[in-house]
Amino acid sequence: MSIGRPRPALSLKGIDKAFGDRKVLDGAHFTVRWGEVHALLGENGAGKSTIMNVATGVYAADAGTIEVDEQDFPLRGPADAARAGIGMVHQHYRLVGRFTVAENMLLAAGTQVPGIATLRQAGAAIEAKGREVGLAVDASARIDTLSVAERQRVEILKVLILGARIVILDEPTAVLTDAESRAMLEFVRRLAAAGTAVVLITHKLREVLEHADRVTVMRQGKTVLADATTAGLDTGELARLMVGERTPPPPRAAIAPGPTRLRLEGFSVRRPDGTPGIEGIDIELRAGEILGIAGVGGNGQQPLADGLIGLAETAAGRLSIDGIDLSAAPVAARRRAGLRIIPSDRFASGLVGDLSIAENLCLTALSSPALNRGFLLRPGAMRRRAAEAIERFAIAGAAPGRVSRLLSGGNAQKLILAREIDDHLSVLVAHSPTRGLDVKACDFVHDTIRASAARGAACLLISEDLEEILTLSTRIAVICAGRITGELSMREADAERIGRLMMGHV
Amino acid sequence: MFDRITLVRRQDVPWTARTATFLGGLGFGIALSCLLLVAAGVPTESLIDELVVQVFLSSDGLAQTVTAAAPLILVGLCSALATRVRFWNIGIEGQLWLGAIAAAAVGILDIGPEAIRVWLMMLAALAAGALWILPPLVLKSRFGVSETVLTLLLSNVGFLCVQHLLFGAWKDPNNGFPVSPQMGPAEQLARFGWGNVGMGTALALTIAVLAYVFIDRSRIGLQARAIGLNPTTARAAGLPVTATVALMVLLSGALAGLAGGVIVAGTEFRLTQYLGNNYTFSGITIGFLARTHPLGVIVAAFGVAGMFTAGSSLKVFYGLSDAVVVLIQGIVLMSLLSAQFFSTYRLSVARRGVA
Repeated sequence: MSIGRPRPALSLKGIDKAFGDRKVLDGAHFTVRWGEVHALLGENGAGKSTIMNVATGVYAADAGTIEVDEQDFPLRGPADAARAGIGMVHQHYRLVGRFTVAENMLLAAGTQVPGIATLRQAGAAIEAKGREVGLAVDASARIDTLSVAERQRVEILKVLILGARIVILDEPTAVLTDAESRAMLEFVRRLAAAGTAVVLITHKLREVLEHADRVTVMRQGKTVLADATTAGLDTGELARLMVGERTPPPPRAAIAPGPTRLRLEGFSVRRPDGTPGIEGIDIELRAGEILGIAGVGGNGQQPLADGLIGLAETAAGRLSIDGIDLSAAPVAARRRAGLRIIPSDRFASGLVGDLSIAENLCLTALSSPALNRGFLLRPGAMRRRAAEAIERFAIAGAAPGRVSRLLSGGNAQKLILAREIDDHLSVLVAHSPTRGLDVKACDFVHDTIRASAARGAACLLISEDLEEILTLSTRIAVICAGRITGELSMREADAERIGRLMMGHV
Repeated sequence: MFDRITLVRRQDVPWTARTATFLGGLGFGIALSCLLLVAAGVPTESLIDELVVQVFLSSDGLAQTVTAAAPLILVGLCSALATRVRFWNIGIEGQLWLGAIAAAAVGILDIGPEAIRVWLMMLAALAAGALWILPPLVLKSRFGVSETVLTLLLSNVGFLCVQHLLFGAWKDPNNGFPVSPQMGPAEQLARFGWGNVGMGTALALTIAVLAYVFIDRSRIGLQARAIGLNPTTARAAGLPVTATVALMVLLSGALAGLAGGVIVAGTEFRLTQYLGNNYTFSGITIGFLARTHPLGVIVAAFGVAGMFTAGSSLKVFYGLSDAVVVLIQGIVLMSLLSAQFFSTYRLSVARRGVA
């Protein structure tokens, strides 16, 4: 390494980007230099992927400048970025499973790469490149016979052959075993040593400290640490930067916890593809408590919510509500026991968009005698129930007969609250209950959850938004890779501690 | 210049736009069909006569149309009920064949007292139709096997069963033709003295109204709608998804079976190799045109029945083939489908200079 700093390869300055009225990037900046491994660190939703999508021309920035080789470089689309030698290896590989490695190479090359016009040339090129950089591949192998690590190699070689000199890797080790990860990171170092600028998007603090030359940390769309050398940093400091200095939550009147409502013992659930989702979770939740489950997205939050409500089978362990074992019970039985859920995706698993507001509101109570007369439903009773809920929850733009699809996010969430928070509520599972909501709707949801806890419900708040966890919870558990890595009281909960647990550093 | 035109999905489709596109599509389809008929040799001036007067306005023609509508209403309902719970029943003819076999069996084997024999035939037809859709239902809900392929293939099996009987045990002993012996008077649905119009039509209309009440006003109907529109939400709400789907699908099969029974006991009075032809396609067309609404099914079935009537007279007077009816159905359906696109999406032309 030379004493003088290498020259910047790619530089993004003052980048703003909003989706609708939600600001995702706010004056963010980022610089990577030739021949270095530069880690880009941040929580989910911090803007890491968005700023890299701006760099690769996938998104157009609302404001800001992009420089390549210290020259102003207006990006009009992905093709411009490719011409400038910017290539990205996405988390989800863009390979055709039923094609061979060579066929995928030819497909990606199109007519853009000189010397690659036939299948044979494509295969030869990718094998030669593989030998050159030390990532061996078999050009005749079909993609769907390859392991994840092998597919990743193909994807990286593809990007290199397409002429990338600035290579962005989006969480390359997230799907790899430890040994594969080490090999991948050593490769990344070699790539940088040969002069390439490498951007490593990651959550893993140790990777950053051990393999990156420099690091940029983003939080809530802003760059909070730019272009810092990793020497002299430690994981605690990085975790604090990522998560931020949170203001201590407002003091809450201490609620004496009541009897145990929800008990999970060794609770395990698989994902739909059969891989482990959560493993051996133990939770005891009492009436009046709000237990916040903090964690980086994708660490088992969805399997936990699905397993609780009964959309996914219990693979091992026990789940009981108010002392009744419901481990193998279907959704309806769990609901009868008082389990209610606010799902993370309102219109995917909370509401039927094309049914009316009244129908959605009565969906979980269709067998109630109040709504039925013999064989037929009582539309009048359903409408009255809906009108009453609309008023009680102040659902704007709603009428009992209107289709629920037309409601805004906040009002759709109120409709779900109106349905789920009823007199039989015992355990409330709230999964990212304020995702995408504005401040006012957010406060309403929080107040409603607090009020149900005060009335004796046990609440489980699963959220990727640490701010939300800290304001709402009475206790915090941190989930990482499908396991609870630690439980903290509110007194013990500080950003650094939570941040480290979220990364799996117990 | 076309790269500046984009499609924008409409947030809320006003009923006026929906009606206008529907009528537009229908008009376009009919106009195209007329052109086709003229090209096939039907004189322009007799089009109205052939397509409207002879079909809906003359007594004989109307009687024929009303009679043809009975099984069409039933197969339309069959398609509508299954579609409501996202079960793609492409084997309507199979269930119809089995219903026809069961009804004919009750008649041929003289099962039960004569006073209620024809109703036993109807019950047998219902049961046979439901039975024929049972394997696809079970295989789909237990193992996720594609019901499209299963129902379609079972259709052929059903037809082969019919042929097996007609060329074997049930061959008409009087002349040796591959048709079953004729049904006796007690094995025929009562007629009202206007062509073949009779209990078959009354039965179909009654069932359509009942189906409307069932789907629109009952708890199970609402469950079925919720499941069809969003299965994930339905499951998360704790609705009995498997049971509701099973009920709707079995009803669907039963109604197709009943259509077979109604044809055997109401119009053909015997089992033949041809009585079930094209009902799958017609059923799907009707179910789609009606947007799976049971009362809409009645209207759409009458429309398609009119095409059958027109087709049979075109066949006699102009020597056009049976395929013309199917062709016209196809043209009208495709026009309506294309038109529907414009009620769902709006064309938007980007202004110059805006990327």
